[in-house]
Amino acid sequence: MKVSKKEKAKTRQRILQAASDVIIEKGFKSASMREIARRAEVGDATIYNYFTTKEQLLYGYCEEKQDAVADALKQIKDFHEYSLREQLQQLTETELALWLPDREFLAEVFELTFYSPVSSAVNLAGTRKRFTHMVEDMIDAAIEAGEIPDQPYRELLAPLYWDYFTGILGYWLKDDSEGYANTSQLVDRSVELIAMVLHTGMIGKTLDLFSFMFRSHVSRHLKELGEYTAPWQKAKRRFMEGKDE
Amino acid sequence: MSKSVPTSKLARTGVAGTAILKAGSKHLKHAAKRPFLTESSSRESRQKRDDETAQILFKTFSQLRGTALKIAQMLSMESNLLPEWLRNELSKSYHQVPPLGRPLIRKLIEQEFGQPPEAVFNHFDPKAFAAASLGQVHSASTTTGEPLAVKLQYPGIDITIGNDLQLVRSIIKRTRHAKLLLSSIDEIELRLQEEVDYQHEANNTEWFQQHLKLKNITIPLVHRDLSSKRILTTTRLAGVHLEQWLQQSPSQQQRNHFGQLLYDVFVNSFYGLHALHADPNPGNYLFNSNGELGLVDFGCVRYYSADFVKLIPKLLRAYQSKDAQAVIATYQKLGMVADMSEAELQSFYENTLQPFGDWLTKPFKAGSFDFSSRSASYTEEGWMSFKNLANVKKINSLANEFIYFDRTFFGLYQIFERMGATINMEHAWLD
Repeated sequence: MKVSKKEKAKTRQRILQAASDVIIEKGFKSASMREIARRAEVGDATIYNYFTTKEQLLYGYCEEKQDAVADALKQIKDFHEYSLREQLQQLTETELALWLPDREFLAEVFELTFYSPVSSAVNLAGTRKRFTHMVEDMIDAAIEAGEIPDQPYRELLAPLYWDYFTGILGYWLKDDSEGYANTSQLVDRSVELIAMVLHTGMIGKTLDLFSFMFRSHVSRHLKELGEYTAPWQKAKRRFMEGKDE
Repeated sequence: MSKSVPTSKLARTGVAGTAILKAGSKHLKHAAKRPFLTESSSRESRQKRDDETAQILFKTFSQLRGTALKIAQMLSMESNLLPEWLRNELSKSYHQVPPLGRPLIRKLIEQEFGQPPEAVFNHFDPKAFAAASLGQVHSASTTTGEPLAVKLQYPGIDITIGNDLQLVRSIIKRTRHAKLLLSSIDEIELRLQEEVDYQHEANNTEWFQQHLKLKNITIPLVHRDLSSKRILTTTRLAGVHLEQWLQQSPSQQQRNHFGQLLYDVFVNSFYGLHALHADPNPGNYLFNSNGELGLVDFGCVRYYSADFVKLIPKLLRAYQSKDAQAVIATYQKLGMVADMSEAELQSFYENTLQPFGDWLTKPFKAGSFDFSSRSASYTEEGWMSFKNLANVKKINSLANEFIYFDRTFFGLYQIFERMGATINMEHAWLD
């Protein structure tokens, strides 16, 4: 029986949702592929056509979430009229809103990735790519519209925002204020600061300052540091031999 | 963007810490100076020091912004220990909380109603048209096109208030009138807790809407279905604020008309409802060109006991006939406990109470009183005696209800003066 593409995507989504549910209930370690398959109402073997490991399920779910966030942002009719600051804040808030039902699941992801940068870099690559793609688009649009000046190292900005966002998620997972109001305030104020840096072209100006300092002060004094390539005055003694002789 | 607020409690405590240090050193200076001063210059120096302390507090509070500032402002309303200029400064900066941008507005509305703004309202203006207590007000419209005023609360403001109260407590612990101020802080905390619950304000608004029936007075209708603890939606009243209205150079007749309305609202709420609508803050009134006066913002309503309401005309009459015994007796019935001898009480009456009473009842005798055509400002004239009364230290428990009532009176007189209105004040009080 041939399964249509649409059908396939649906099944994939069902498996991911089931995985999230089971992982929230049992924790990542105790969750089994078999149970997830049952919950998703697919065959024990079928699930492996979609995901070969439990980890894949975990990270697949994170990727799926990014697509949902992008969709939610597209739903906001006047989103393109938002300032960059508002867009970044909306992105962050939408992430939080959509993660809310799976907060415990996210905590598992954090547990597994936060303390192992390598695994997070590899496994979350897809999630990260989707996330940074959204940020890049916002920044590019703001530059095109003349809202903010062109930024040096533009390609680094979106990954930086990802790192910032990871920090926000960490704070949120530990936030016990009502309605996570503290996280909202933190986001409100930190995004303001980020937007300010982008608006004023702070990054470029800081680089200008450093390069000026380097050229006019550091490089001028390099000579005074001496000829570090000058030949030795006498030959070196052998390693571990004849120090006191 | 220039309005960054020191956010973390740690940073805020850092700011406050410097103020405590500064205020503390002032105290030491004073203590060292004191033995060499005569009675009068000692008082003068104390006054100066109070001013300096206030200045430091003000600097600190304005650095903190937001709710701490509001607390300080309420503190200044509550007690009369802070000098007038500081009270003025504080009232100017009343409503400074960080503005809500579109993402937070969206979040708040989704959180409270489960739907985004465009689904809840026909139209929603993301730009606020007014600041409000602990939030901001947006114009919107219902699906049937009815204009609305939607008040939104800054998320987490209740948590911030808690932190800020603690902070303000720690600051005033070191100042001279700590005990008095701290008891005021408790009262303020209660009132702020009411204020952050917009449901409470919705109840007040509805209550006034149903009970205060006066010609040409309009009070907005609450939309319960579009209100919650953090959002308050009412019909939007037409009209402009006092300053804007004055810029349109209204005729004398219009001035008198609105002044009289304000006064009638005051008298009717107090006598009829035993309640007063906030303190007379010009921002709470809307002047409509069709002659209607709109009342908004019922976040802070003060209710009075029936006894208090009954005794006030007695007091005013006693003042008018300069009957010292009756004045003091009435005050005692109002709950004043004076720690004074008979002779002290007599001189207190002559020096403090009677001048205040003379000033307070002056407009009543005149039939209609013209607040504009006086060489010296009437409120300025009265300020000294009012201040003297408010600063009496040997009287306790007179404080809250009565002083607050007086302040309302005083604020109203100030507005009349600003309007340059002639008002008939004779009728109600002395009946």
